[in-house]
Amino acid sequence: MTDDTPDDGSIETDGGHATEELPAGEDHDDHGLPPMSSVKRWFLTTNHKDIGILYIGTALFFLVFGGILALLMRIQLWAPRAPGEGLLGPLAYNQAVSAHGLLMVFWFISPFAFGFANYVVPLQIGAKDLAFPRLNALSYWLYLFSGLLFGVSFFQKATFSGGWTMYAPLNIPAYTPEVGATTAILALVMFVASVTVSSVNFLTTMHRWRAEDLRLRDLPLFSSSILLTVWMMLFAFAALLAALIVLSADRLLGTTYFVTQEGGSLLWAHLFWFFGHPEVYIVFFPALGVMAEVFQTFTGKRIVGRKWFVAAMVLVALQSFVVWMHHMFLTAINLQIKTLFMATTIGISLPFDLMVFALIYTLIKGRIRFTTPFLFSFGALLLFIIGGITGVFLGAVVLDYEFRGTYWVVAHFHYVMVGGATALFGALYYWYPKITGKMYDEFLGKVHFALYFVGFNLLYFPMFLAWQTPRRVFDYNPAYTPWHRLATIGGFILAVSFLVMFYNLYRSLQTGADADDNPWEYSSTAEWAISSPPPLENFPGLPSYKGGKLNFVSKVTGGATDGGEVTDGGTAVATAAGAGHGTAAATAHEEEHASHASFWPFLLSLAGFLTFVGVSGINKGGLYTPLAAVGGLGVAGSLVGMAREPFTVPSPELAEKWPFDGVEDMKLGMWIFLASDVVLFGAFIGSYLFMRVAEGWRNWHHLIPADHVVMPGLINTYLLLTSSFAVVLAMVAAERGSNKGVVASLVATLALGIGFLINKGIEWQHLFHVHSEAFPEGWELSTNIASSTFYLTTGLHGAHVIVGLLITLYMIPRAWRGAYSGNDKPIEYFGLYWHFVDIVWLFLFPLFYIL
Amino acid sequence: MASTKLYTAIYVVLFVFATVQALVEEAGWLGGSDTLYWAAFAVIIVLSLIKAVIVAGYYQHLKWEPRSVSYVIGTGLIAALALTIAAAYSIT
Amino acid sequence: MTGEPAVPETALGLVAQAGGLVPRGTRVEVFNRIYWVFLILGTLVGIVVISYMLWKAYKYRDTGERPAEDEDEDDDRPTLGELPTGSGGGKKLFLSFALSTIIVVSLILWTYGTLLYVEGKTTQDSADQIEVTVEGYQFGWRFIYPNGHRSTTLRVPEDKTVKLKVTSTDVFHNFGIPELKVKSDAIPGQETETWFVAEETGNYTAKCYELCGSGHSYMQADVIVMEQSEYQDWYSQTTPAPEENDSGPESGEGESTETGGESE
Repeated sequence: MTDDTPDDGSIETDGGHATEELPAGEDHDDHGLPPMSSVKRWFLTTNHKDIGILYIGTALFFLVFGGILALLMRIQLWAPRAPGEGLLGPLAYNQAVSAHGLLMVFWFISPFAFGFANYVVPLQIGAKDLAFPRLNALSYWLYLFSGLLFGVSFFQKATFSGGWTMYAPLNIPAYTPEVGATTAILALVMFVASVTVSSVNFLTTMHRWRAEDLRLRDLPLFSSSILLTVWMMLFAFAALLAALIVLSADRLLGTTYFVTQEGGSLLWAHLFWFFGHPEVYIVFFPALGVMAEVFQTFTGKRIVGRKWFVAAMVLVALQSFVVWMHHMFLTAINLQIKTLFMATTIGISLPFDLMVFALIYTLIKGRIRFTTPFLFSFGALLLFIIGGITGVFLGAVVLDYEFRGTYWVVAHFHYVMVGGATALFGALYYWYPKITGKMYDEFLGKVHFALYFVGFNLLYFPMFLAWQTPRRVFDYNPAYTPWHRLATIGGFILAVSFLVMFYNLYRSLQTGADADDNPWEYSSTAEWAISSPPPLENFPGLPSYKGGKLNFVSKVTGGATDGGEVTDGGTAVATAAGAGHGTAAATAHEEEHASHASFWPFLLSLAGFLTFVGVSGINKGGLYTPLAAVGGLGVAGSLVGMAREPFTVPSPELAEKWPFDGVEDMKLGMWIFLASDVVLFGAFIGSYLFMRVAEGWRNWHHLIPADHVVMPGLINTYLLLTSSFAVVLAMVAAERGSNKGVVASLVATLALGIGFLINKGIEWQHLFHVHSEAFPEGWELSTNIASSTFYLTTGLHGAHVIVGLLITLYMIPRAWRGAYSGNDKPIEYFGLYWHFVDIVWLFLFPLFYIL
Repeated sequence: MASTKLYTAIYVVLFVFATVQALVEEAGWLGGSDTLYWAAFAVIIVLSLIKAVIVAGYYQHLKWEPRSVSYVIGTGLIAALALTIAAAYSIT
Repeated sequence: MTGEPAVPETALGLVAQAGGLVPRGTRVEVFNRIYWVFLILGTLVGIVVISYMLWKAYKYRDTGERPAEDEDEDDDRPTLGELPTGSGGGKKLFLSFALSTIIVVSLILWTYGTLLYVEGKTTQDSADQIEVTVEGYQFGWRFIYPNGHRSTTLRVPEDKTVKLKVTSTDVFHNFGIPELKVKSDAIPGQETETWFVAEETGNYTAKCYELCGSGHSYMQADVIVMEQSEYQDWYSQTTPAPEENDSGPESGEGESTETGGESE
């Protein structure tokens, strides 16, 4: 996963960008992509609009999946049940609860929103595609296969049954021994991989591919909300990844993080909620963005206090990282920290007040048309108000003490989260004409809304009234039976409303009226200025906001400036910079033809899927081990294939790039990825420090054998420092065009890295087999928390070293053939990664060897 | 960007700092009283911080990139620190 | 920021505790008072805001009429491809924002006083209270009294502060007695503290509020509130649990150690 980023080909061209005007739908417009009616296209496509459609469709599939589980639960809750009574057994009920939560939060809401983001954001910001189209396809396929992996978990005895919060230590094999539970965790790991790739891609695109004169603050509100969402995702999901890797290690390798008495259980809660609370806003922000857009269009009014609306969102995004402990008010955390987190929690509720009022005041003096998208957005705002007010109850710690673990919480967060999803269903209708070129059936849309809104409130409002029911039980106080029955009825009405929706979507596609380019009066964002559906490369020219209004620059402007053609470590093409510019426009055009098709993202994800299925039962032997091996080979092969595939992505020259002017797409992508890696390692180191504090800082030594000495660590520090220096020399050599120098330096890097690993191997072997009085059985991963943190944290670092060495191995023959002489960029990108690995070690060394 | 000479000088400094860190341990400060332990702790961590800043600044060329790149990394760092410090503090 | 770590001694705490405003008493009294204030205010705010919203949406519905000529300031509508800007109305926005801020912040500050009171009670020691350790296990509760007596039924005297030290021997549970409004996480390796006062004798049920495995739905325990004298009688007859029962969740199951002292 770590090495995805440097594989994408990216070509920077100069101002001589030949944008042709092409009518929509013309055949040669599709650049080798089969037509949309062909199944093949959907496996090959890297186009953001295609991928957006794939995301939306897949997310709706998971909505049905998670929805059916919810209906099963609601049937079970028709009456208080004795054990074994009803449709679901106790463990089955717990699985349904857990899978419903995980599927809806991870595989439905966010990907649904990101389907729209994929489709609409590039259009709104005036980009032809995302900055790394193949990585975008990769994100999608990783997402789909992670969901399938989750589906597989149901067939391995049982899926995970410890709730979507996965509290420790219920989440370890001692309590949830099923292989399927491990698979579900690995499915989440794969999902996070998809999210990380996607975050890097969106951030690079949104920061560097905006149309000329479209400042960041001028982004339409939907795009703003997505930008902030992605920033939150980048950091929050890295913390989740750390938690999931640790959990996977506990389940598969026998580390002891979460079984450790001192702090193990709380560690999970901290890691999970550090991710989990930003996740709430990650889920909700896109909905907020949709509401803002839809309100503006259908009230015919610009939003009131736009500046403040944006500021409020920024504030929430920042604060979302410092409120997580309000999920832990009843744990053993101290009063001071409770007070602090109570304050930050009130703090974060206030910007939402402002946003809600801004939306409401936008209605005033509007020309409100109650179309289906508006009804859904309006309904979403109403539901969110109820969700928000009931949330204030939870902000009062004394009340929270009593609401904790009850249906009050269930009702509250469904009002907020499903309230958010409500706006996203509005988005589906809002952009349906743009995406399909057909109008949906307005009457059926309104029927959908009516059923949805009634069903929603019948389902969730009674939960407030029956709030004393504990969460995740099916044996409740019989006094609440009427309320639970009402909720069950509401749940089925809600489900029926979706049948109407699916019918409408399907029917309108067949027989709907053709949609205009801009079917909505008073819409203002750029996607409505182009045809429905838009052509493959979106715009009839270069979009620009010069002069304060969108226009399309149809002709090549400069064309003489020399464009440095930059390829990454992957592409084998290295044509002379700017060849053909200004002389033969056709040639230039041919060269800069953007690629839109690649089979590798699909293959890579498929191989990853097989690997994870294999790994899930690796301790069981049987077919699992060979499956993991085959999958692993497939991953390696696909990575090489993807790296070697020529794939051209012309980066826009005339674009607004603040604040990353002068940092190329690849480099920025690498830095953004590293920022998430900082959080990943930070969470690992944080876990170590937390467990050490819980144990008693200086007591820690008792958990470590005397044989664990400084020397191997020091030697490895020397080796890594020297290898970093060698990479620097490789870059200097490349700058000077010295082929030999590059090869020599890279070989030195490789040798030093291998030395690092060998030294580590010897050290580990020694520690595994120590026979001291305190550790007669050796010092292994499962010995104690000190050994677990040591092996897993330095092991994660070691894995980074191995990935780096594989990249080096790939680069050396290419360097030999002269791919980097005069083009040190790929080496620089690799260096960023390698030096980062070095920096991490600079902290691991003192923390794990000295202190 | 910097010259090879500067890169080399940096490499030497890094090498020396790592050695000093190990020497602090060798000197036995860490086995001593709490005061001595935490003093040594401070020295060692500060040395690591300096090393990290130098590598990021020069080897990763952050010094020559727009500040915004550093802010991105800094944000990640602050997030991780917030998690670590608040979590550790909560159980004291 | 108001988020300075505040302990009861700080100004914030003093302000919040000032006067008789701060709800005190049993957990039930405290909860009810705060809950009802929140519920009434919340319902009120909700009704006002939602009605306002519905009213405006209705009032400004598009009737299809477009003012032909006199479309001066009223017709400054969004146009396709414009750079986004906002509408006026900021004053109203800030006024309502300020109002909501005042409501929310004062409500929370008001309850903060009670939080300090509730939290303070767990650290206070007084002779007039009893202390019971609660151990959650899959799937039940074990109550350990100061004299070493163990039981799966919690017996407490009425009108006395009962302090609970809550922990778990396996996974994360949450111990709560809904009628008495007491709740605390039961975390392996950690001990959380809480308290309650039962004002009326009778039978209550303790439940688990954190998903803990297949028996979660049924992880309950009886709570019996007895008259003080009755409790004394019962307690004086209890004996420490035998040593061999000390390990494993089975220990303490059933109430073999208590024979006499049954109320009613």
